[in-house]
Amino acid sequence: MMHKSSPAHATSPLSYRLERAFNRFLLYLGVALFLFVILLPFYWIFVSSFTPRYQMFSIPPRWIPTEVTLKNYANLASNIPFSRYYVNSLIFASFSSFFSVLFSFLAAYALARARFRGSNIIFLIFIVSIAIPQIGTLVPLFELYKSLGLINSRFGMVLLMSSLILPFTVWTMVSFIQQLPEEIEEAARIDGANLAQVLWRIVVPVVKPAIATMIIINFIISWNELLYPLVFATSTATKTLSVGLVELAVDPSMGAGRPWDMMSALSVSMILPVLILVLFFQRLIVSGLTKGAIK
Amino acid sequence: MDSGTISSVDSPRQAIREYRRPRISKLVWSRYLAAFLLLVPALGLRLFTSVYPFFRTFYFALTDYNPAFPPLQFTGFENFVRMSKDLAVSSSVSFTIIFVLLSTLLQLFFGVLVALLLNSSFRGRGFVRAVNLIPWAIPMVVAAMGFRWMFDGEYGIITDLTRRLTGLDIPWLTTSIGAKAAVIQANVWKSTPFLALVFLAALQGVPTDLYEAARVDGANRLQTFFKITLPLILSQVVTIGLFMIVWQLAAFDLVYTMTGGGPGYATSVLSYNIYQAAFGGLNFGYASAISLVLFVLVFIMGGLGLILFRRVEVSY
Repeated sequence: MMHKSSPAHATSPLSYRLERAFNRFLLYLGVALFLFVILLPFYWIFVSSFTPRYQMFSIPPRWIPTEVTLKNYANLASNIPFSRYYVNSLIFASFSSFFSVLFSFLAAYALARARFRGSNIIFLIFIVSIAIPQIGTLVPLFELYKSLGLINSRFGMVLLMSSLILPFTVWTMVSFIQQLPEEIEEAARIDGANLAQVLWRIVVPVVKPAIATMIIINFIISWNELLYPLVFATSTATKTLSVGLVELAVDPSMGAGRPWDMMSALSVSMILPVLILVLFFQRLIVSGLTKGAIK
Repeated sequence: MDSGTISSVDSPRQAIREYRRPRISKLVWSRYLAAFLLLVPALGLRLFTSVYPFFRTFYFALTDYNPAFPPLQFTGFENFVRMSKDLAVSSSVSFTIIFVLLSTLLQLFFGVLVALLLNSSFRGRGFVRAVNLIPWAIPMVVAAMGFRWMFDGEYGIITDLTRRLTGLDIPWLTTSIGAKAAVIQANVWKSTPFLALVFLAALQGVPTDLYEAARVDGANRLQTFFKITLPLILSQVVTIGLFMIVWQLAAFDLVYTMTGGGPGYATSVLSYNIYQAAFGGLNFGYASAISLVLFVLVFIMGGLGLILFRRVEVSY
């Protein structure tokens, strides 16, 4: 965006320098505005979680609390089965991520190296099935799960979640595998390696970055999921943090007004793991998210 | 694998051509079998959790299915007659469309703007780009909860901010128009960074000598944007726009957590209606009928989007 040299602008050096300074000023103003808008909700949730309850409900609101407390977190742990929900969320997100990536990798390999009639149609089925709204499938799924005894089952929830993120993962994986040269795999097969050996010894080592990327992205998406746990987890043994947060908001035993103190503490606890993942794996995540969209 | 057949041809490509011949040899069969085995888990899961329920919904929509009162009765189009008189559904249809179109337009606009910002060079750019990822990464539930708290009429900091800036007390969550605006703002905040990310990647693929050439020719910044930048990223803009429309038509978390559809039915969307009918009232049949309306909406808007997409693909 910077004008380093501009032969077309036949202006005096001074006005040129002024224009440049002004442009810089506008740019940094834009950056500051952007940071403010993006970070304001985080600032507020974070600050609220350490603000004593009596200071939270003041008019006008205090942008900076005069007192800091950890009591909100203590309240949270004593009012809801916080650690149970945390473990449930971790299990749900890890397994959903693992299985979605495993199944996607296998399918993507078949589709990327497709040499059979109908492979385009199968790929299309994956993509078009993204358009079937998750909410519109819940009633039949509930009926099915009830008859299979899968309500409140971790296994059942992981199946649903892996399936939900499959199409996107397959799409990204296909575009990744297609970039790899096919010759090595062919050579290995000629030398008598079977399919499992080709996949494990040759393909997996090369697509490791893509696998790691999709595992991280799918973990984040599953960690954030609300709808499936909300419908299919009805006991403390399977409920996740997102359900816990929603329940805090509607719990009548909390009295009038919402327990913002505990809700913000729960929010911060829920954001923390994804924040760490984003900071550590920024590059991988960006490459994974843009791979399917940019060809 | 039968390696004897492969060694008779000298390139993989030629080998493929060999396999595709009408005569179905043993080798072809083993290839088909391998592909089939690799596809079974993924395809099976999709059929079981998405395609099967999709078709099952059409059947349930014609019944009074209620899990508390079995068995279900076939009631024909009764659910649809009931729906036509249901104020909650009709206002949800209109707000769903407004919500999706307005959100998507704003997300595209700000997405391009933010991408341009993140593509220019300034100090601390790496940090700002990392910050841009955060709204995408956090749960929608947390964002929705945070925004509800910030838009609160008495204790909210956005209400406080707008009061300080404009001197007006904006009743964000207690009036119909205010709540609609608040929900759309929260939604735009949550998804714009993702779009910006995709557009930024597209911008980085634009060769810089194009900009050099434009500058030499004396093009100003607006001309450069509309004549060079936009046409080069337009196919991404339209693709993502289409994706966001289809995806946001079924968005549930935000409305459920932030407003519960209120005040009244002001911010109720179809997905919220479906959830309430199914798991609030146990009217599975009725919920399925509303689901069909959502399917039709996805089909129409997705179809229109695809037509637009084709046009852009042709003209550029």
